[in-house]
Amino acid sequence: MAQHKINYLQEAGLPVALTTVDKLVQWGRSNSVWPLTYGLACCAIEMMATGASRYDFDRFGTIFRASPRQADVIVIAGTLTKKHSPFMRRLYDQLAEPKWVISMGSCANTGGMFNTYATVQGADRIVPVDIYLPGCAPRPETLQYALMLLQKKIRTEKASKKLQPKRLV
Amino acid sequence: MQKVNRLKPFFENLEFEREDNHMIVNFGPQHPSSHGQLRLILELDGEKVSKATPDVGYLHRGMEKMAENMIYNEFLPTTDRMDYIAASSNNYGFALAVEKLIGLEVPRRAKVIRMMLLEINRISSHLFWLATHALDVGAMTIFLYAFREREYTLDLIEDYCGARLTHSSVRIGGVPLDLPKGWIESLNKFINHLPIDIGDYEGLLDQNRIWKMRLEDVGVITPEQAQSWGCSGPMLRGSGIAWDIRKEEPYELYDEVEFDVPVSTTCDSYGRYKLHMEEMRQSIRILKQLIPMYYETSPEIMAHAPQYLSAPKEQIMTQNYALMQHFVLVTQGMRPPVGEVYVVTESPKGELGFYINSQGDPYPYRLKLRTPSFFHTGFLQELLVGEYLADVVAIIGNANIVFGEIDR
Amino acid sequence: MMRPYSEKENVQKKPYYSDRFWVAPQIPKEPVESDAIFASDLDVLKAKFEIKEAYIQRGQMVVYINPADNVDVLMCLRDELSYNFLSEHSAIDWLAKSGEFEIFYQMLSTCKHKRLRIKCFIKEKETLKSVIDVYKSANWAEREMYDMFGVIISGHPYMKRILMPDDWYDHPLRKTYPLQGDEAAQWYEIDKIFGKEYRDIIGPEERDGARIDVDDTYRFAHINHEVPFGAPRSLEKTVTEYQEEGGVFIVKKLKKEDAKILKERP
Repeated sequence: MAQHKINYLQEAGLPVALTTVDKLVQWGRSNSVWPLTYGLACCAIEMMATGASRYDFDRFGTIFRASPRQADVIVIAGTLTKKHSPFMRRLYDQLAEPKWVISMGSCANTGGMFNTYATVQGADRIVPVDIYLPGCAPRPETLQYALMLLQKKIRTEKASKKLQPKRLV
Repeated sequence: MQKVNRLKPFFENLEFEREDNHMIVNFGPQHPSSHGQLRLILELDGEKVSKATPDVGYLHRGMEKMAENMIYNEFLPTTDRMDYIAASSNNYGFALAVEKLIGLEVPRRAKVIRMMLLEINRISSHLFWLATHALDVGAMTIFLYAFREREYTLDLIEDYCGARLTHSSVRIGGVPLDLPKGWIESLNKFINHLPIDIGDYEGLLDQNRIWKMRLEDVGVITPEQAQSWGCSGPMLRGSGIAWDIRKEEPYELYDEVEFDVPVSTTCDSYGRYKLHMEEMRQSIRILKQLIPMYYETSPEIMAHAPQYLSAPKEQIMTQNYALMQHFVLVTQGMRPPVGEVYVVTESPKGELGFYINSQGDPYPYRLKLRTPSFFHTGFLQELLVGEYLADVVAIIGNANIVFGEIDR
Repeated sequence: MMRPYSEKENVQKKPYYSDRFWVAPQIPKEPVESDAIFASDLDVLKAKFEIKEAYIQRGQMVVYINPADNVDVLMCLRDELSYNFLSEHSAIDWLAKSGEFEIFYQMLSTCKHKRLRIKCFIKEKETLKSVIDVYKSANWAEREMYDMFGVIISGHPYMKRILMPDDWYDHPLRKTYPLQGDEAAQWYEIDKIFGKEYRDIIGPEERDGARIDVDDTYRFAHINHEVPFGAPRSLEKTVTEYQEEGGVFIVKKLKKEDAKILKERP
């Protein structure tokens, strides 16, 4: 995993500065976290299972959106390969602020078992990651728990605060 | 805007000044219904596709290279990630190839358990195919229903091996575990209920006007095309060629169970949909016959071949020689004889083949994974031409492609 | 101190111990005459082409031919001997041993229920004729072979890399290519997305999966003792609840005791 911190807000900054209504805004944001339908490999199947009947992701206010322009969070579900990495970065750039990233599964976290020439050794070499999900593949419950943690994280953030690189388990 | 990256707008395939009225559409690699990371460059003449260029490799993880750097047992979990919808069938294909290479016969109970796992995986894969295909075509209900039943198949597999998706449930030389207590009962419960559920799906889809309009006469594959492009599995049987490796070149105990090979002669997507449904029924039929067979077998689940396989855990813990052997096999790996094999199995997607070239080392000199989806995706460049843009998604969904398998 | 010698032609993993006196057993090669169908097939081939070697191994016939004959042999197999499928086609790297690639065509006949392997050797820079006019399934197999080995195919309509990106350096499945990639491969995504000058900022890839540093809070978290990214370790226990104690407006806090646990699935 990379140690660097790239301040993505330095160039642009948030369009609005909110101070007193932070709590309200973040309450709203945290309960309508819309992920992008972005499946890369095996974990995408578990992501679909999370969205399907038994695990029912929708009750967290989480509705999968097909366009990055409408999504808040991108779940990197699966192995990120070097050939795909520019597309991943492009999709991340296309997400509107505020945006969060969940790295799902060992492959996205560190390259996992695919310690080869073709895989990116950790998605955080490309994009800043908020939550790392262990497992190969993580169970749907793990993804739900990660989403709850992300919601909690969003609620503790200030709406106008600079995006701080953090890590959680 | 952020300035940290230097990615340029991606226009390499787009030509803006063309004489004719053709338009080029870039589909993927991230598209909700591309079933993974398929990128298609479609040249459109109005609504019709006049040229399609599939671009794959966005999930290439170097599995064949990994295999050359791993001992045989180490590579087995990697095969899970090939066709991740039916992981056991890949494990099984690899285990069978290595067993053929070293010339090993597996105990009967292990064969029965393997067949059970394979058929549950087939059901699981077909349910997943139905769910995603229906979702692509616009039927959300089927998605929810089929995923409900798919979770039950995953429960069964989880009870057996502990994993939902990446099973590693087969070992070279047998299976790691006997069936747990109560497993047969839950299997019975599942296979008794599944025909009713399949009836529900068919009730929702068979005469559904939208479903029929979207699938009938869409994606027609002639038998000549299917042969020339190396199609296999339901894609081949959907063109009227009755070729099921389970039937024609039986492995395990498939010659002892009764089942039919469904064939569709309509050659279109609707015929292949009916075929998948019928295959699930046949899998249930096989599973029903396997349950009494299981009770008739003796309890050995691993073959006895000290040169290649570790002894059972109990012996390793109690006998010195078994422990030494286990140590050598884990640290150095087995050394199969010099030679090569190409072993095929009928995975849910089609002909899954493992070509192993062994030079007597613990590492294979060359391991080629012959995956059905790779050839089916290659076929898209001919199949999509002349179809409407709206049908592209239906055809891709119908082809049942999985990207772990294509790019490996 | 001298650096230990490492083989350059084959950088794949080697067994760390090999018994000098151990002779690997061979999978027996049976004569083709032992199978009537294969024998008659081989007679037809022998009448037309030069056959270098032929035997049956594990139930499949292996036939070595001249690389120049590949299209004609496959045409003959398809039209006269009804081998209607080309199920696999790829190469094996023998560059270190003899400077050659071994090409194999795995054939299937659905009416005879037989599988057969046609093989030939070509030199590294030699071109091989495309068999795409005989079997279209060779289309992608040949592209993959070019991508992975650099085997040059003539007469293919779209000879581009298929699995690796177009600007990739070298052919990954060659034995000279290391598993974890050469330098161009290791920095590929950084160079492409951020530019070469970001190599120093982002740092090299961590390839050793077993390396653990307890004080490193960039890469590791101690369960129940999580700290923010990069902060020093602390022994204080962190609360791992997923919802705040005070509750969130409208959102119901889930308590374990309130949850209904089903004994059996409905």
